[in-house]
Amino acid sequence: MSTLKKLPFTSSALAVALAATLSQQQVMAATGVTWEDILKDDQTTNDVLSYGLGLKAQRHSPLNQINTSNVSALVPAWSFSFGGEKQRGQEGQALVHDGVIYATGSYSRMFAIDARTGKRLWEYNHRLPDDIRPCCDVVNRGPAIYGDKVFFGTLDASMVALNKDTGKVVWKKKFADHKVGYTMTGAPFIVKDQKSGRVLLVHGSSGDEFGVVGWLFARDPDTGEEVWARPMVEGHMGRLNGKDSTTTGNAKAPSWPNDPNSPTGKVEPWSHGGGAPWQTASFDLEHNTIVIGAGNPAPWNTWKRTAPGDDPRNWDSLFTSGQAYVDASTGELKGFYQHTPNDAWDFSGNNSLVLFEYKDPKTGKEVKATAHADRNGFFFVTDRDKLATGAGYPNKPTALIGAWPFVEGITWASGFDLKTGKPIEKGNRPPQPAEGADKGESIFVSPPFLGGTNWHPMSYSPETGLFYIPANHWAMDYWTEHLTYKAGSAYLGQGFRIKKLFDDHVGTLRAIDPVSGKIVWEHKEVFPLWAGTLTTAGGLVFTGTSDGFVKAFDAKTGDELWKFQTGSGVVSVPVTWEMDGEQYIGIQSGYGGAVPLWGGDMADLTKQVTQGGSMWVFKLPKQVVSAK
Amino acid sequence: MQKMALIVSAAMLLALPPIGGLADDSPRAGMADPLGSPRWENLRRAFFGDAEVVFDDRVKVNAPAVADEPLNVPVAVDASALTGVEEVLVLVDFNPIVRALRFEPGEARASLAFRLKLNESTPIRAAVRTADGVWHLGGARVTTSGGACTQPSAGSGASDWQQDLNQVGSRLWQRPDGSLRLRLRIVHPMDTGLAKGIPVFYIETLEITAGDGRSLMRIEPAEPVAENPVFTLDIPPGLSVDSPLRIAGRDNNGNLIHAETMP
Repeated sequence: MSTLKKLPFTSSALAVALAATLSQQQVMAATGVTWEDILKDDQTTNDVLSYGLGLKAQRHSPLNQINTSNVSALVPAWSFSFGGEKQRGQEGQALVHDGVIYATGSYSRMFAIDARTGKRLWEYNHRLPDDIRPCCDVVNRGPAIYGDKVFFGTLDASMVALNKDTGKVVWKKKFADHKVGYTMTGAPFIVKDQKSGRVLLVHGSSGDEFGVVGWLFARDPDTGEEVWARPMVEGHMGRLNGKDSTTTGNAKAPSWPNDPNSPTGKVEPWSHGGGAPWQTASFDLEHNTIVIGAGNPAPWNTWKRTAPGDDPRNWDSLFTSGQAYVDASTGELKGFYQHTPNDAWDFSGNNSLVLFEYKDPKTGKEVKATAHADRNGFFFVTDRDKLATGAGYPNKPTALIGAWPFVEGITWASGFDLKTGKPIEKGNRPPQPAEGADKGESIFVSPPFLGGTNWHPMSYSPETGLFYIPANHWAMDYWTEHLTYKAGSAYLGQGFRIKKLFDDHVGTLRAIDPVSGKIVWEHKEVFPLWAGTLTTAGGLVFTGTSDGFVKAFDAKTGDELWKFQTGSGVVSVPVTWEMDGEQYIGIQSGYGGAVPLWGGDMADLTKQVTQGGSMWVFKLPKQVVSAK
Repeated sequence: MQKMALIVSAAMLLALPPIGGLADDSPRAGMADPLGSPRWENLRRAFFGDAEVVFDDRVKVNAPAVADEPLNVPVAVDASALTGVEEVLVLVDFNPIVRALRFEPGEARASLAFRLKLNESTPIRAAVRTADGVWHLGGARVTTSGGACTQPSAGSGASDWQQDLNQVGSRLWQRPDGSLRLRLRIVHPMDTGLAKGIPVFYIETLEITAGDGRSLMRIEPAEPVAENPVFTLDIPPGLSVDSPLRIAGRDNNGNLIHAETMP
């Protein structure tokens, strides 16, 4: 009788054996995706190779075959059902390469579909444990593609690389323990370190509602091996090439209170502090900098992250609820702008960060900026040069150029002080429970934690110079509760109830001018908006609605020009591409996400939506194109 | 349902050729399928194409004539009477997934025991390719209540299956003839993907290597291999194995298997 010992998962002998196996499987030859292809993704019309349709995540296509004058003729080309019994939220943005659509579905699934016919080419169903802990539905927001592989994150806190032609697993890396609350819903992103010339697969982690520390990872796309990893809570240690690198910010973490009775010397929440960069990055090529939003601090309860008796505004809970600028070579945090210092409302900072340039009307000079519509109701324009050049302490509140409300009825702040870069708060933090009470007095907060907008990305049109935000008007009753940390349990210390702000609508699609902060037009929707937007050189804005429509709007006026009912709620992100001389629009349908789970009074609306799970593709009839 | 399966197997028994005349050891090229399976012509085209195929009694497939437990049917393939065995393919005529397992014996004996899931009463075949490119076929017929390929695994119902996934248990002992017998058991649900709502999830590759890197056997299990697979193989005498044997592989999700055992 001999005994066996389990060896660590990384053995070079094994890797060699596996490599041999895989090369046998890679029989189908097809063109691979190069860095140059990804670099030009915003300009090339025959493919969609990145989340955000380009490194700057502007979600704009130069295609104009479908335009304001003919979009009303748009018809479905085909529809593909994701099938199974797993019809939950479909929040993915598809990729398109070489006539193949790569779409991810709920429950960690990926599908390769023939873009011309809608025929299924392959499907990968990731085997999930029962004890996964996604806070906000079993969603996935899309894949990345590079070389001969497609990549996506799975709900059990893993990253998987599949051969793009066969769907076979090439490598899988579990990056954290799903049992304590780590998970993965965001789309990974490909960047190229401009110093080493090395291509990297960049992805974050999720799980702020369970008290885990958020991490950003960079991996070798060929092997999955980690190159660097950056924790987002100040004072935690990063990694570079398998070794400790530097702490994030100040090693003493002055933005978190001390606790002399704690083994770490810091308050308990510091060890569970959140800040997960769970959305997808954009890439500032010139500064070799990854730009990504950091999630809410954990717990939600502001007093747990404030020294007893002190003002929460003295304890920022860095580096959470803000925009992070990370060096692609080393994983160093170079710059940070915090949208919500000591975030008491789960506003997070994850929403899309769109890189753009504009002419300063005063100086006439070009400004390299980042735009962001936060859950906290403000639209931010920040100075990318200041944030990405990275000298000194990363937190740079004075990098703020402008912050304007993009929704009505904001209760927590009246605006931002442009000198200090800090919010002007209105005393809207929920009070602590009175002595002996279970919970604190309830207060009214708008926007609620579901946000003035949320993960569903906005887009920018260089033609109109406007941003298009899929926003919502709603509010919450909100009160503090006691809490202690328990691994794998929700770590909030807050109670809430979502409610309506206006009787006639929740959703409001808004066009905003990033120079003046003015709302140029709005379009109201009865249901909450939970789908991303796409702009095209055809003068159009595309998005979807929770009651099942895909819609096209005039980018200049906001007039609704076309709609199509897909049969279930649309909470995904549209894309467009050109194939055989025709322009196509693709979007997923299938209702779910955070709203039906946490939406409180929204249930009156969301219970009317039936489940689904499919990819829809639209184009113009041939006679309409030729009549042009 | 069970009654239906029995009727089907009775019909197949009637289709069997007479037993006499099969004792001859010489291969019978071009002969009719000795198991009388209506699927045989399809299988021949799908798996062997134009290659030469002979029915050969030297290829032994040992399996119970009646299997009470269709989720876990023990099967032993022995092709060690042939020389120059390069690969062995195990096919189950009436399973929804016909191809059950493939192995390359390497320096181990050309024999392997394992357990299968059966969906109905069926012939089980071993196709053995020798160095000259000829496929030698042997087989056995198993009667069973079936249904095993479309049922969820026990592991799929356990909340903590990921905890012990791909852990390897092993036993290695000396046989009277001087050979070493290795038995492996790997924790894995081996889901076929045919049970509603449970994705396909199975071990794809398993390599058993001597300490010096010589390949003893490469096994490619497929979906019909039973949950928590057990494999038994023999390392012939004279093959000095004095350093730990290595067992390495992975499943279709990219989860790795890695263990070693001391002789």
